[in-house]
Amino acid sequence: MHYPIGLLFDLLASSSALPWNITVHFKSFPEKDLLHCPSKDAIEAHFMSCVKEADALKHKSQVINEMQKKDHKQLWMGLQNDRFDQFWAINRKLMEYPAEENGFRYIPFRIYQTTTERPFIQKLFRPVAADGQLHTLGDLLKDVCPSAVAPEDGEKKNQVMIHGIEPMLETPLQWLSEHLSYPDNFLHISIIPQPTD
Amino acid sequence: MEEDEFFGEKTFQHCCAEFIRHSQQIGDGWEWRTLKDSSEGYMCKTHFQIKSETLMSHSGTSACVQTCLPIEEALELPLDDSEVTETTTGSQVIKYEYHVLYSCSYQVPVLYFRASFLDGRPLALKDIWEGIHECYKTRLLQEPWDAITQQEHPILGQPFFVLHPCKTDEFMTPVLKNSQKINRSVNYITSWLSVVGPVVGLNLPLSYARAASEDE
Repeated sequence: MHYPIGLLFDLLASSSALPWNITVHFKSFPEKDLLHCPSKDAIEAHFMSCVKEADALKHKSQVINEMQKKDHKQLWMGLQNDRFDQFWAINRKLMEYPAEENGFRYIPFRIYQTTTERPFIQKLFRPVAADGQLHTLGDLLKDVCPSAVAPEDGEKKNQVMIHGIEPMLETPLQWLSEHLSYPDNFLHISIIPQPTD
Repeated sequence: MEEDEFFGEKTFQHCCAEFIRHSQQIGDGWEWRTLKDSSEGYMCKTHFQIKSETLMSHSGTSACVQTCLPIEEALELPLDDSEVTETTTGSQVIKYEYHVLYSCSYQVPVLYFRASFLDGRPLALKDIWEGIHECYKTRLLQEPWDAITQQEHPILGQPFFVLHPCKTDEFMTPVLKNSQKINRSVNYITSWLSVVGPVVGLNLPLSYARAASEDE
């Protein structure tokens, strides 16, 4: 899949010990189910397309459109060559918001569950409520994926995981978006069954 | 969730409903599909086209050297180098599927499409490219953000080709502003699809436009 590897691990193998052993197939490519990856350029195009979409949500595309092509290139090269400073020199601009606001316009997120038919849930969700209160991760889940969150005094059925950790549901979503987004500027959230051990 | 915008999801669904109403009147084949347990949905249409094909079979060894050729294809090639022939496979029926979904990120409709042979084998982008009229090809190559890319269908999860939506707002805004100025109602979906559809072989009969201006 063209999903970030960390997301795939959280979603499919989080109980596995590292290193994660995977099987690579060279025959019978499932044309109907998976995207082809013909070249590095295709990965760059896919990555930039995600970054653009995230900025459409955060800033109505204003920040990404004001950047020059060379800035887009620097973002990609920084990621490709594992150069933190090179990447963040550009990415920090995508994490800013106007002084008069308390956060982004909408939060770029996708919620994945292996038990559902659709590949992910993505909806419009504001980081700040009308009264100025910051929305939390728990608020997001209650709104877009209520089945994932256990009732008040019920048993916890699921783990809500980002980058292999379970952030507290009280964490402000704006903070998560600024600090725990993937390089494509999306929060990729996995909902997995609570392990029984 | 929020609809402070110009073209929100409810407006999208309303325009699609009007569009489909006309489609049903003229037998144009568009349908609405809803997602189970949700108010979300999308428009879709399937059509079949006969395409006559000429195939050149590859000469044995030289094609195997290409690094981009998938291994299973290389193994299927004839081992006999002298077997370079031109064969006409005759007519092939191609199934085209077009889906119109709403993008909440860009707050515009997006066109997803795919093509396959009747046995289910999907067509590659280069084969679909051949079906696109010359005049659109140049435009697509010049403006990469109008380009066609392969992406995961957000509801079905399968690979579809997509016309990138980030410029939709740019070309639709003047259309809508103008229609307000001359006080004539316009169906966003009809106008939008009449622009992007032909690029990928989807044509709209003119009666859609007449129907749109008659509404309300």
